[in-house]
Amino acid sequence: MVGIVQDVTTFNEYQWSGDSYELQIIGLMFPSLMVEQPDYSLHPPSFAPSLASAWEFSQDNSVVTFHLRQDARWSDGTPVTAEDVRFTYLVQKDPRISSPGLEIKDFITDVEVIDRFTAKFHFSRVYPYQLMDANDGHVIPAHAWGKVPLEKWESTDFEPILVTSGPFRLASHSRGQTLVLERDPDWWGSPRPNLDRVVLRVIPDVSSQLNQLLSGDLHLLELIPPREAGRVRAHPDLELIAQPGLLWGFIGWNNRDPVFADRRVRRAMSLAINRTALVDTAYHGFAKVANGPILSSMWAYNKAIQPLPFDPEQARRLLAEAGWRDSDADGVLDRGGRALEFDLLYPSSNPIRHDIAVLAQADLARVGVACRPTQVEFTSLLARQESGDFQATVTAWSEATKIDLTSAWTTPSATQGSNNFMAYSNPEVDRLIAAAREESDHTRAKVILDRIQEILVDDQPVTFLYEAQQLTAISRRVGGADINPLSVFFNVQDWYLTP
Amino acid sequence: MRQGGGADGGSGARRHNPLLAFALRRLGSGALLLLLVATATFALVSFAPGDIASRLSDPRIPPAARERWRQHFGLDRPWPERYGEWLGAAVRGDFGTSWLHHRGVGAVLGEAVPRTLLLTSVGLLLELAGGIALALSQIRRPHGTADRTITVVTLAAYAMPTFVVALGLVYLFSFRLGLFPASHLLSPEGEMATGWRRVADLLHHLVLPAVAVGVAGAGAVARYVRGSLLDERTQGYIVAARARGCSQWRATLVHALPNSLLPLITMVGLSIPFLVSGSLVVEVVFAWPGMGLAMYNAALARDVPMLMGGTVVATVAVVVGNLVADIAYAAADPRIRL
Repeated sequence: MVGIVQDVTTFNEYQWSGDSYELQIIGLMFPSLMVEQPDYSLHPPSFAPSLASAWEFSQDNSVVTFHLRQDARWSDGTPVTAEDVRFTYLVQKDPRISSPGLEIKDFITDVEVIDRFTAKFHFSRVYPYQLMDANDGHVIPAHAWGKVPLEKWESTDFEPILVTSGPFRLASHSRGQTLVLERDPDWWGSPRPNLDRVVLRVIPDVSSQLNQLLSGDLHLLELIPPREAGRVRAHPDLELIAQPGLLWGFIGWNNRDPVFADRRVRRAMSLAINRTALVDTAYHGFAKVANGPILSSMWAYNKAIQPLPFDPEQARRLLAEAGWRDSDADGVLDRGGRALEFDLLYPSSNPIRHDIAVLAQADLARVGVACRPTQVEFTSLLARQESGDFQATVTAWSEATKIDLTSAWTTPSATQGSNNFMAYSNPEVDRLIAAAREESDHTRAKVILDRIQEILVDDQPVTFLYEAQQLTAISRRVGGADINPLSVFFNVQDWYLTP
Repeated sequence: MRQGGGADGGSGARRHNPLLAFALRRLGSGALLLLLVATATFALVSFAPGDIASRLSDPRIPPAARERWRQHFGLDRPWPERYGEWLGAAVRGDFGTSWLHHRGVGAVLGEAVPRTLLLTSVGLLLELAGGIALALSQIRRPHGTADRTITVVTLAAYAMPTFVVALGLVYLFSFRLGLFPASHLLSPEGEMATGWRRVADLLHHLVLPAVAVGVAGAGAVARYVRGSLLDERTQGYIVAARARGCSQWRATLVHALPNSLLPLITMVGLSIPFLVSGSLVVEVVFAWPGMGLAMYNAALARDVPMLMGGTVVATVAVVVGNLVADIAYAAADPRIRL
């Protein structure tokens, strides 16, 4: 029995779904060509066979041929074939379906069906993430879902025509309540699951979730709030799994703002904040200080970068250099009659970011900066970030295991969207990021990425704050679980329940 | 009734049936209210910062996807135009597809409304029954020990935030005593079961959330009924009844109580919208996915069709609730004329 915060809204991941957590559940029921391995700390992720039993690159590396298992079946008995793989690709690339795959598959020009069990992926360029991009997204049933016109997908309920091919299949679904998955006896993969059923219970309230975990009703719960981790750890029947996760947080400065456009001011902010103390307090020890734009658990992390220290003296000097002085002796710096004060936005639904905002306020006050923690409803906050209507915001990103700094750190263009809401812009970084993306060899790409990290740490477009640990609670009755940041259900087939 | 109330009987009906005329008048103004509320809601949602695409903030999702979502859902067009389309479809009974659930708004509401109605109507019954019972036990010896104790309890119940009540109930009756389940409509076994076992499982799960819904209201009802019972007891008709040998208990129960319940009709009528819109706090704590949760999630996701559908249902409930209360009031008290 597993606790989840929200029900899945769809079983078709290509149906305008923005929630990545749904993919973990969908992954129990749908096949993918390969399984990404959690070895991203050493090199770009490697892959293990799944629906594809083998694959090979062409001489010039621009074509990857996948050989599919011939015993794979959909839950209605139809074989899983190369046609399904091609259909999936066509769906991902179709602008009528707003799947993120449209961009992920940018460099895949075609998926060619050679025979029933062989598919060729044609690439327009050679780069380290070819396998990852080919593998992205689960394979869906062409014979069942191909009948629904693509323009109708957004408004179609796929549950009545659900055809699956995974270790588990849907046994019952009470919307907003309970999702019961049962072992699919006809599943072709190995090993076969030990568990008969996986029951997912929707419990929207975090304290209710914890209570049911502590009382033994739940066997697995993800996203344990750090302040509650102690209670879980002290419980004799529960194990707390704390491991480096993919979430990292920062204070985003609006680089368009006349105050924060100045690199010295941004650096002063980072120097003035005691990040170690702040992260320890807000995360109760379940996070470490983030130094730069790439997680320290990733292969591409530059171990040589010098993070900014906690140095209020230097912060004061930098601010003075930038022309900020307390001319009216009110304890707040000013320049040209304008005080150095701003709203620090954080989402109202997130107590950790509230704590961070308040702690940052206290540190900044000591160097004469008046920061006002201001809570904003989550969606409104995202909208304000997107439109640039903010000065500073406490926010966090969940990082992908594919390292591509383009959308977060290159100069946002007027025509294409960007995740760089800070509007950070450095032509050298733009050039280097493009070069890293072009590089086909990851060791050579690493050299470029190292340089980018140095520049970003120097420029401090954001104050890098924390890399959060992923906290998962699991009952000691569950054996064999290898929980990792990629997916809680990574090796669910091996799990077993002891009495 | 000579005309037989045919299609041309509008004025005739008004002359002969003031109740019907009153109801029609009120429904007419109700329709106007509905239009106003719908327009205002649509405008508000459109002006609120953010939209369904804002939620695609995961850096793995390419920013261009946001723009495609906006185009697909028509968010790049002016709101009056989109509202016109919505209104045109809505008057034909088509409330569109939920952007979050990919199912018809009617289907999603069709699940949420009965769940909420079950919870809130049982909660309301508990509120009324509990409140009246408490008031009656207080009135036996006004200002006695029992009365004072219950006064403190009812005031506390009225003042306590619902989430405190809800979490307290869960802690005590679920985790400490293990008498009732802590959340959900059904246990996983109950979901598989059919017939009476399913109903029994549902009722078992209903107890704590319904009590949580009813507690604060019961406190209010008790205070209210106690007060008006005290007033009634000094009225001439009660004194006369007592003088003719009617027992104190009978005078209270049979003669005073019905009169002191009259104002409650308004209270109940006004709570009909709540019956439909539900209590977000109770629904969240007890994982009871009714209207409260559905509308909350729709608001966070800026799911416009869902928000509009929910608004229409709630507004209709307000109009109908008020109408029913007024009619019931008139039926219960002959002095009131519509």
